[in-house]
Amino acid sequence: MGTSVQVTPLSGVYGENPLCYLVAIDGFNLLMDCGWNDLFDPSLLQPLSRVAKSIDAVLISHPDILHLGALPYARKHFGLSAPVYATEPVYRLGLLTMYDHYLSRRQISDFDMFTLDDIDVAFQNVIRLKYSQNYHLSENGEGIVIAPHVAGHLLGGTIWKITKDGEDVVYAVDFNHRKERHLNGTVLESFVRPAVLITDAYNALNNQVYKRQRDQEFIDAILRVLRADGTVLLPVDTAGRVLELILILEQYWAQQHLSFPIFFLTNVASSTVEYVKSFLEWMSDSIAKSFEHTRDNAFLLKYVTLIINKSDLENYAGVPKVVLTSMASLEVGFSHDIFVELATDAKNIVLFTERGQFGTLARMLQVDPPPKAVKVTMSKRVPLVGDELKAYEEEQEKIKKEEAVKKASIVKVEEVRATSSHLSESTKGDSMVIDPASATASPKASSHFRGQMDILIDGFTPPSTSVAPMFPFFENTAEWDDFGEVINPDDYVIQEEDSNHMVGNGKSLDVKPDEASVHLLLDSTPSKVVSHELTVQVKCALLYMDFEGRSDGRSVKSIISHVAPLKLVLVHGSAEATEHLKMHCAKHVCPHVYAPQIEETIDVTSDLCAYKVQLSEKLMSNVLFRKMVENEISWMDSVAEKTNEKVFTLLPPPSAPPTHKSVLVGDLKLADFKQYLSTKGVQVEFAGGALKCGEHITVRKISDSSQKGGTGPQQIVIEGPLCEDYYKIRGHLYSQFYLL
Amino acid sequence: MASVVTGAQNKRPNPNSTSAAATREGDQLIITPLGAGNEVGRSCVYMSYKGKTVLFDCGIHPAYSGVAALPYFDEIDPSTIDVLLITHFHLDHAASLPYFLEKTNFRGRVFMTHSTKAIYRLLLSDYVKVSKVSVEDMLYDENDIVRSMDKIEVIDFHQTLEVNGIRFWCYTAGHVLGAAMFMVDIAGVRVLYTGDYSREEDRHLRAAEVPQFTPDICIIESTYGVQLHQPRPVREKRFTDVIHSTISQGGRVLIPAFALGRAQELLLILDEYWENHPELHNIPIYYASPLAKRCMAVYQTYINAMNDRIRTQFANSNPFDFKHISPLKSIENFDDVGPSVVMASPSGLQSGLSRQLFDKWCADKKNACVIPGYVVEGTLAKTIINEPKEVTLMNGLVAPLNMQVHYISFSAHADCAQTCGFLKELMPPHIVLVHGEANEMGRLKQKLVSQFADSNTKLYTPKNCQSVTMHFSSEKMAKVIGKLAEKVPETGESVSGLLVKKGFTYQIMAPDDLRVFSQLSTANVTQRITVPYTGAFEVIKYRLKQIYESVESPPVEETEVPTLIVHERVTIRHESDTYVVMQWSADPISDMVSDSVVAMILNIGREGPKVTPIEEKTQEEMERMARKVVHSLMVSLFGDAKFGEDGRLVITVDADVARLDIKSGEVECENQGLRERIKTAFGRMQGAIRPIPKP
Repeated sequence: MGTSVQVTPLSGVYGENPLCYLVAIDGFNLLMDCGWNDLFDPSLLQPLSRVAKSIDAVLISHPDILHLGALPYARKHFGLSAPVYATEPVYRLGLLTMYDHYLSRRQISDFDMFTLDDIDVAFQNVIRLKYSQNYHLSENGEGIVIAPHVAGHLLGGTIWKITKDGEDVVYAVDFNHRKERHLNGTVLESFVRPAVLITDAYNALNNQVYKRQRDQEFIDAILRVLRADGTVLLPVDTAGRVLELILILEQYWAQQHLSFPIFFLTNVASSTVEYVKSFLEWMSDSIAKSFEHTRDNAFLLKYVTLIINKSDLENYAGVPKVVLTSMASLEVGFSHDIFVELATDAKNIVLFTERGQFGTLARMLQVDPPPKAVKVTMSKRVPLVGDELKAYEEEQEKIKKEEAVKKASIVKVEEVRATSSHLSESTKGDSMVIDPASATASPKASSHFRGQMDILIDGFTPPSTSVAPMFPFFENTAEWDDFGEVINPDDYVIQEEDSNHMVGNGKSLDVKPDEASVHLLLDSTPSKVVSHELTVQVKCALLYMDFEGRSDGRSVKSIISHVAPLKLVLVHGSAEATEHLKMHCAKHVCPHVYAPQIEETIDVTSDLCAYKVQLSEKLMSNVLFRKMVENEISWMDSVAEKTNEKVFTLLPPPSAPPTHKSVLVGDLKLADFKQYLSTKGVQVEFAGGALKCGEHITVRKISDSSQKGGTGPQQIVIEGPLCEDYYKIRGHLYSQFYLL
Repeated sequence: MASVVTGAQNKRPNPNSTSAAATREGDQLIITPLGAGNEVGRSCVYMSYKGKTVLFDCGIHPAYSGVAALPYFDEIDPSTIDVLLITHFHLDHAASLPYFLEKTNFRGRVFMTHSTKAIYRLLLSDYVKVSKVSVEDMLYDENDIVRSMDKIEVIDFHQTLEVNGIRFWCYTAGHVLGAAMFMVDIAGVRVLYTGDYSREEDRHLRAAEVPQFTPDICIIESTYGVQLHQPRPVREKRFTDVIHSTISQGGRVLIPAFALGRAQELLLILDEYWENHPELHNIPIYYASPLAKRCMAVYQTYINAMNDRIRTQFANSNPFDFKHISPLKSIENFDDVGPSVVMASPSGLQSGLSRQLFDKWCADKKNACVIPGYVVEGTLAKTIINEPKEVTLMNGLVAPLNMQVHYISFSAHADCAQTCGFLKELMPPHIVLVHGEANEMGRLKQKLVSQFADSNTKLYTPKNCQSVTMHFSSEKMAKVIGKLAEKVPETGESVSGLLVKKGFTYQIMAPDDLRVFSQLSTANVTQRITVPYTGAFEVIKYRLKQIYESVESPPVEETEVPTLIVHERVTIRHESDTYVVMQWSADPISDMVSDSVVAMILNIGREGPKVTPIEEKTQEEMERMARKVVHSLMVSLFGDAKFGEDGRLVITVDADVARLDIKSGEVECENQGLRERIKTAFGRMQGAIRPIPKP
């Protein structure tokens, strides 16, 4: 029997919830993606929390929240400690995406699901792979080989191929077969007949317009607004699809020499583009080629200005401009604030390039007809003053005293632990890392650690859009060290450098100083969040254009039928889309199509029988192979001989073997055959689905609906009266096959 | 019947039979250096196993020019090479590639890493430009380089690719940006080609990785033989000390270095040294290479191929944006007024700017020349290491060599310790040394022989064009899958099915499963042919029965029209008074049966109405007929043959008597030869007088 494979969705089936699936291969638990949504709703992670500890490896496919957002949280709260595998761009851009989301959340709420440190910790043990790198898992994953392959959609996007004992399990979600400006199309189609294919039904019901036409419409829509003195807001992701949009705009601006300013505003905009520039080898062939020839990096942006601070936009208040900004959900962050500013003016446009996540402001605005007015919460982090400050200081004093009592016991232990772990990590790496780095880093780390232990109640999360708590806010993470000392802000300057040194170790990343926001967050000035609700009249134009970069329904179907998996598992997609694709595939692709519910375990172990034999030299010397496409094929008669417990050796049969039913091997396409016949000088045309050859002979294929895409042989009929033509055409027909 | 099948098979074109035969003989693995065998330069190693051919590197020899600099390409047939792998961009590893791609009949695929490809183009364009000045017979021009770019494919580190059954991937090699070690896997035999590698991490490059799998063969460089490098800090100190003291004495320092690769490392050292020594800030450092400037974008982009240190620095500022080093276009722009440090190419001082400066400065003993890397035999740089009294200048004059010459190696080649350590970790059963001068290589071989004395390791040091042959027992394993595998056979039971070979993996399956496990599919071709026939259907049946043993006629109710089924293969339906329809599923035997049926029906038609159905003879009559026929035939064959008393036919030939039982076909005879002859004759007679039996 084949390798045992079980699939259990933990989230993201029959809907658009984040992707997270458990795939067990011979008892080795692989978590495919670990996504969360933009609202960071912990209830979505319930199923994950139950299995997180048993997971042996995590494979991430795309650098966005839906695919990796829950990593820090799961690591911190669920005890998910398995190594994570991802491509270099997924790792790097995923990290930046997490930072961006965290900072955006943090600016307007007391977001405490995870901290920047948690993000760093979660990403520390990401093992970075290259495309088509066969990575052999060890220990209890012995024998399993994982390999990332090009998926399209996002930079570094991955289709995972998991192989054990020659059987492939392919996990392909959010792929794009089309070549784009910065990405190659997926290579999914090159996988043929995997044992299991896990794919999404997200786009099963959607069909796209042509790319060129869509690009033109996109540019037209933007220009119309700009020329009418309006501002274009493009709510985008942090480091994914936005790259394609930037390239579209760059190219068009360069061609037309336009002078409208374009801004790319996220908390991590400059580092994003800086890193993207060094990921050329992960991008499309045309980008690589242009670099080889002219050494012009496509992401050396000439027209797009990178900003990390909203105040930079103020100088351009009345100027028509394009603003690309992260947080496509419009729930928080710059996009939220800018939307509120722009919404009241009919000149402006908010151009959505992806479908908003369910339950977000973006989704609300995408319905047809759009709402006339929406309620939003404006929140701001302000420094404490007057009484509040006093109250805060008193509070701090109190806590300090408590800490002083505690520190003798718990803290010391923790610090020792933290310090030693830091030291051991840093000494492992480059000798250039200076020791003070770890020395200064460790008190901070341990203070974080302790703070969270004390304050955080598992499972408790304030609603993300809620009004700030009324009691004085205090930053629990950075105000004092283990010894109750208020940390000198200057320490943080060193800290910054330290974190840079840590990059050298390859275990921590630099938060490329997004000075303003970092200051705001790490500033020791006590601050609080104030917010007020207001109703925004939506007067600006709203437009949705599909730039999600996923294969559309028709292509998905044709790709699946080309891949022709033995078993198919459908996930991620609305109930209708999932049902639709399931019906379609059951009819046309393979009989085993599954669409499991959350926490429903399905067994997709292949019912394949197989055993290994050794081919003796004597036998092979009598085998004449015929070459067919990539295969060589031959009929073989042999006698088995048991050499030891498990292995058989095949020897040539002692006597002439009985004749076998002859086999015609080949794939006849009538259209190709028509071409072939006409080159042989035969009059040939299609008539009523059959191929009419010469005067009287017809060749046709019997398409048995149950056979289509199935496994049976093709049925071909040639008929006609007895004449010379008949034998001639039969001869041509035979030449399309190999007879074995 | 079996012979019929093979006969039909042979009629089909079989274009692959020759290559299949070659595969069987291909158990020996051949490695032939076409260059870099007992020499340094023009690296090019040919490898062939199981009909698959791989070429590693495609360099030129820097000390020669024109065709003489090429590897011995005429030893091989370029059209047979499947894959060409280039380890790094240095001229002695990549510079004959445009020639090989554009001027030979090479049809395979070429791979190199991203950064190698980006630099390759710039470097070779520069090479073409530079050598145009001094050499007449150019191997290729700029256009060839541009065209070759389209044929070169890229591979990323660790990425596994498969071409034509050859699987290969590459590891970081250190040495220069983008340098790779290739691991090639053909049918389970793994070969590692290190190219130039270094196990020491430096300012910007990672150290060479140790592959996780042990290769069966390791083709390894031996440039430094048994020499040991000084520790990096010591070398750096010597380097900076020499420069510092020369400058403080008012001298000039010439560093002849190849434009790319080690030069970047040296510049990083110098820039850092100047940064730390403010007193030197008024001494200019020139870097005379527009090429290196052009390549800077490549260095800035592929930071992921460099080490963590440089990536960290990169986050703050570009480490290759030197503060104290200025570019120098040509000697005309050079204002030679006081102490200075100039790094210029070529490294061998053959020609170009480094030679111009050398000629200018060599007579002054205050000046110094620091040779920072390996120098190839036959170049001026190699000559001056031995500090001769005089040197010949470019203009032919002889000048005294007074300047100090220092040889401080920064070349990122493995030294003896690194090589031994690397091989010890890998423990390959076969080691082939290339890329080293004969003496150095010989010494390294001795050293390795003693190191691996107690293991079975074999060492080879082939000269150019000298082949090394190794044998690998090829144990072909196949997987029986699908329906065929439902029952595991016992010893002696037969296993028959389709053997499908893809790359070097074999699968055996039932024909029905072919579509399940491969992209191939099977087909059934149903043939239906209308044959004009106006006679009685019974006649056909009668005639068929004479020829074929099994002619069934199912009841008319089931088939609507009168129907005959011959040997369960060919169905004949009497659909109208004017024609019959024959239907069968195509295979060689059925085709033949149908042909005979067609011929028979046509014959009946020709014979016309005079044939009428006759009553069927009884079994007994048939038997009697058969006896008569056999008897008369035997008489005609052997002369004396008559029926004996027991019903057997007694045949007497000379003195030998044979008895033939006509029913069973048994022959009793003392003469072995006669018995066999009679048996054969009887068998043939039986075939002629009886209908064809059902298989």
